[in-house]
Formats: sequence, C-alpha cells, structure tokens
Amino acid sequence: MNMTLTHHVFANALEGFFFGSGKAHVVTGVALIILAGLAISLWRMDRRLRQLESEQHDPKA
Amino acid sequence: MSSWNSLWKWGGVALLAYVILRGFSTPLQPGFIEASPSRLSPGSQDVALKAVGQPFADVNAEPSAYTLVLRSGTELIQAQLTSVSPHGVQARTEIPSTLPSPALDAFLFTPEAGTLFLGNAFFVEDAAVGSVPASLQVPPPEEIAPSLGFSFPYQPTIIESIRNLLWHVPMWFAMFFVMGIGFVASLAQLRTGDVRWDHRAEAAVRTGLVFGILGLATGSLWARFTWGAWWVSDPQLNGALVTVLLYSGYRVLRAAMGQDERVGRIAAVYNVFAFVMLVILLMVLPRYTESLHPGKDGNPGFNSYDLDNSLRAVFYPAVIGWGALCYWMYTLRLRMNRIEHRLLTR
Repeated sequence: MNMTLTHHVFANALEGFFFGSGKAHVVTGVALIILAGLAISLWRMDRRLRQLESEQHDPKA
Repeated sequence: MSSWNSLWKWGGVALLAYVILRGFSTPLQPGFIEASPSRLSPGSQDVALKAVGQPFADVNAEPSAYTLVLRSGTELIQAQLTSVSPHGVQARTEIPSTLPSPALDAFLFTPEAGTLFLGNAFFVEDAAVGSVPASLQVPPPEEIAPSLGFSFPYQPTIIESIRNLLWHVPMWFAMFFVMGIGFVASLAQLRTGDVRWDHRAEAAVRTGLVFGILGLATGSLWARFTWGAWWVSDPQLNGALVTVLLYSGYRVLRAAMGQDERVGRIAAVYNVFAFVMLVILLMVLPRYTESLHPGKDGNPGFNSYDLDNSLRAVFYPAVIGWGALCYWMYTLRLRMNRIEHRLLTR
C-alpha cells in the first residue's frame, strides 16, 4: 500500500516535471552537451596518444 | 583502416545522439494511474480515473465513443461515462451488493489509444460474496487496436522513467562486454605470461568499472522512482554492488603491488575469479531467487512485456552506441598502458 502511494505521488510529480514547461527539451539539451563534451575529450586524447606513439616509435619526430 | 577507426567511434557517438533525441522526445502511451474514490459501497457511485502519458481523447470528446467497464473476478459491470477529457474520465456506476471479489479492475476501451487498464482500481466495502446480478453484468466489449504514433509503452510501475532503459541496461551490457575482454586477456596472460595481455586486462577492468558505477547510479535513481527507495535489499542489486566491489578489489590489488614483477600474474588470477563471480552474481543467482528487478522472476531475459517495437528501435542503437563508446575508452586506456610500459622499460 505504501509503495503504491509513493509510486502515485512520484509518478504525478515526474509527469509534471518531465513535460511541464518544456523540461524534456532542457534534459535533452544537457545530455547532448555532455555527450559532445565526452566525445571531444576522447577524440583529443586519441590524437594526443597517436602523437606520443609516433614519438616513441621515432624519437626524432 | 584509419577511416574505419574514425567511423565506428563517431558512428557510436551519432547513435548515442539519436538515442538521446529519440529517447527524450518520444511520448508515452496513455495509461491509468489513479482512481477516486478508492473505496466504494454498494449503490449508485460517481467515480473518476486519471491517466498519464499521451492524451487518449480530444478536449471535446464524445463519451459515447468510449466504454468503461469494471471487473470483479471474471464478471464485468458497466459504468456510464459522464465526461471524457484528454487525461481522465468520470463515470457513474451501480455497484451491486454481491460481488465475486471486492477488488474492481477498470478497463477503458478507446477508439484510438486501445484499452487503458488499472488493476485494483476500487475496493468495495460491505458487499457480500456472490455473483453480480445479471441485470448489471455486461459482455466484454470488442477490443480496438490502438492507432497511436511512435510512442513508448506505458508500464504501471515505471511510467516516464522507462526512458532510463536506454541508459541503465546498455551500460551494464557495455560493462559485461569489456569485462569479458578482460577475462579472455587474463586467461591469455596466465597461459603465455606476455605482459601485453596484462595491459589489455587492466584497461578492460578500469573501463568496465566506470560503466559498472554508472549502471549502479542509474539503477539506484530508477529504484527511487519506481520502488520509493534509493536501494533495496534485492539479489540483483546486491549482486551488482558486490561485482563492482570485487572489481574495485582488482584495482586495489594492483595499486598495492606497485611495480612488483608478479603483479600481472596475480592480477590475472584475481580477474578470472572476479569474472566468474560476475556471472554467478548477475546471471545465475537471480534465476533462483525472487527479485523486484524487471524480468528476473525466474527468467532474466527480456520479453514482450518489458520491451516493445518502439523501444527496441531506440534500445538496440543504445546498446551499440554505449558499446562503441566503452570500447573506445578501453582502446585509449590500453594505448596509455602500452606507452607507460615502453617508457618504464626503456
């Protein structure tokens, strides 16, 4: 019974939070920014590692 | 080769971008969430049912196009709809003095959204056990197939949080995948003694731990909304936590041994043990115990109840996208390990 009540209270709150005032779009935007930041940092790390690898193989480079 | 290397990495990122856009913008199918009053007594009663998700009716919907029935046991009682709104209905019903069961389930048959259901919507007090009088019984209405657009299924216990399926589950899959690589690498390390396999195992466990912790965090958040607690004592949840702690032990072991030359071999033995425990704790034990976790009641696999075609269209790209991101992180860590090793052994 307690769990059902909690579930109802949260479900209503979640529904209002999620689609009230376009918050779903804010969540989408934030998630996309985080993904872009993560992808760019991985790409930069990838590039830096390639540079280090080529330096190790050819110390004069 | 280089273009293929870029393709799978950026392809994975593009898939995740699609998952985020699709996952958060797809509407939820409508479903009942609340009935009032929850307790009824025999006689004429006014009732109301509230729904969430996509609207199932227009603002000026005609009640005669909808049918509401209440079910007691296997017998059906008709309710006269007095008003229908996009997210709710009001009705008047005649509650008989004899019922097969005091708990009434509600079914709303709609022309566009199919059938909306709420189990144990009402509880009838002061009714005797018996059959519903024939004058109040109705035959089951004809079901109409829903004609909703692309939408996620309504599940009574998880509602909008169903979108977490696109994060939580693929993160665990990614962890299994990379821990599997680590397991194979550790076996190869034990067989050959080649330090390159140790680099692979270390990178795999390090990356897998990140995804394991993310899996725990998203699972805990999900539990808060569906079960009302951040953590419950459940075999699946406790098994996941123990697995992450076991792999944390691998990191502690390596850090404690420092540059000891036996570190690769000892860590490989530990990693094989940790992976076997992962399989037991997350795949075997939940089959033998009751669990709150979806799909774990004797069968850990997904089924049509948990996953429909609209969810699959986003879930499978999520699995591939998270897997690609995880593998990218693993390859980066592996290359770091190799560079570090070359520097130390120069």
